[in-house]
Amino acid sequence: MNQLRVALAVARKDLRSEWRTRELVPALAQFIILALLIGNFGFQIDSRNASTIAPGILWLALVFAGLVAFGRTFAAEREQASLEAMLMTPASPVAIFAGKALAAAALLVVCEMVLLPALSLFFGMPLSGDVVAAVLLATVGMAALGCLFAAVVARVRARELLLPLLTLPLWIPFIIAGGLAVQSAMGLPGSYQQAIGLLIDFDILFVVLTSLAARFVLDE
Amino acid sequence: MAVLLMLLAAGAIFVYAPTDALQGPVQRIFYLHVSSAIAAYGCFAVVLVGGIIYLRNDSAVACFAVVLVGGIIYLRNDSAVADRFARAGALVGVVFTTVTLVMGMLWAKPIWNTFWTWDARLTSTLVLWIVYAGYLLVRRMAEPGRQAARLAAVVGIFGFIDVPVVHFSVTWWRTQHPGPIIVNDALPVQMLGTFLFTLACTLVLAGVMIAIRYRIETLIDEKQSIAEPVPVAAGHRAEAGPEAVLPAIAQRPDRRRCRDLPCHRLRICGCRPRWLSLVVASPSAGA
Repeated sequence: MNQLRVALAVARKDLRSEWRTRELVPALAQFIILALLIGNFGFQIDSRNASTIAPGILWLALVFAGLVAFGRTFAAEREQASLEAMLMTPASPVAIFAGKALAAAALLVVCEMVLLPALSLFFGMPLSGDVVAAVLLATVGMAALGCLFAAVVARVRARELLLPLLTLPLWIPFIIAGGLAVQSAMGLPGSYQQAIGLLIDFDILFVVLTSLAARFVLDE
Repeated sequence: MAVLLMLLAAGAIFVYAPTDALQGPVQRIFYLHVSSAIAAYGCFAVVLVGGIIYLRNDSAVACFAVVLVGGIIYLRNDSAVADRFARAGALVGVVFTTVTLVMGMLWAKPIWNTFWTWDARLTSTLVLWIVYAGYLLVRRMAEPGRQAARLAAVVGIFGFIDVPVVHFSVTWWRTQHPGPIIVNDALPVQMLGTFLFTLACTLVLAGVMIAIRYRIETLIDEKQSIAEPVPVAAGHRAEAGPEAVLPAIAQRPDRRRCRDLPCHRLRICGCRPRWLSLVVASPSAGA
């Protein structure tokens, strides 16, 4: 219970500092619109093939926006050296990590609130509850993994270079299952039930694993 | 010796094994392809075990001995040793995965008429390769010592978990890659013999490569500890102990830890017998 309170406090702190500076969310929203623009020029898009291309653009834009967002997760803490201060408090490192991951996930959800309407606007992608559920479920696991590796590379020299290299391969399970879920929700072949079940399995697996590993990454 | 074994294996592949009736000589790639895949898995298991031991030692849980991969490794309660094994295993594993991928592509071109297909096994092997190449990059870019070891151990463990997950999640895709034919008696005796021999040779080669790489990593660590004595001494706790007890031994660190090295077991370094080093530098002195 106490751990949960600490996690929520850390998440609230991160979100409040984002609210006061309003740096990341506008930048990410612009990034996503730019990604859609590039997708438009990269593919020959017309009304027939838009629905088959849109899921691919969704995951590409989301993954790269996520990388930018998670790269910033520990940036402020590093610049102010405030992570050390937080770790010196009696709060457990796992709770601090959970709070950071929660805040990062919330930022990613805000990005998705831009991305999904934009996709349906520009690419005519039908927005259904199934699609939103699949994207949100993938966000949970991606946030846990992305935050863990953001913490890993926070102490490394070439962190901007390393974060995508480490995070992207580990996100692939979510992209496989999430991609399948979105495609099947949009009427392409595939089992939606199976994909959603798989997403939930991956979420549980990686949330448990990252919370076990968080202690070794943060506790220095 | 390992080179000789590999040459013998090459001879067996090209001379002893019969040519495949359907695929022709290209099928001979099979022996090295599957062997190096298995060797790569073995190497990554070394990374995993090394990483876990490193983290567990750090949290002061006693972990005395682990026997793995045919008894190549015998790890004492020395996290630096586990970490060096993990580094050596990752590098050799990436090499063998590269061999597997390249061999597989060369085999696929004449048989499947394409170098690459997004098949379950191909995709997961590619992910495996990417994960451990990233692992090596973390090692390279992090500050050497305790920090790099901890971070890389986490990456190594996650990488090992991720690959079966990727494999499992793509299994319902239409797959082109043949299943395990070795276990269900589909191979003729001569082919099976050649395969097992190649497998054994490849595993020996992997073991020797890990041992050599381990030796190199030890030298790198020692070079670092000469250049920057403070951070490395703080990172590798086990190295700090015996110096205080026996300064004369401390001046010859290569001799002191030689008992941990595989080269000692293979009798290529010619240093003191094991019992003597146990007497002069007990591992518990460092804890």
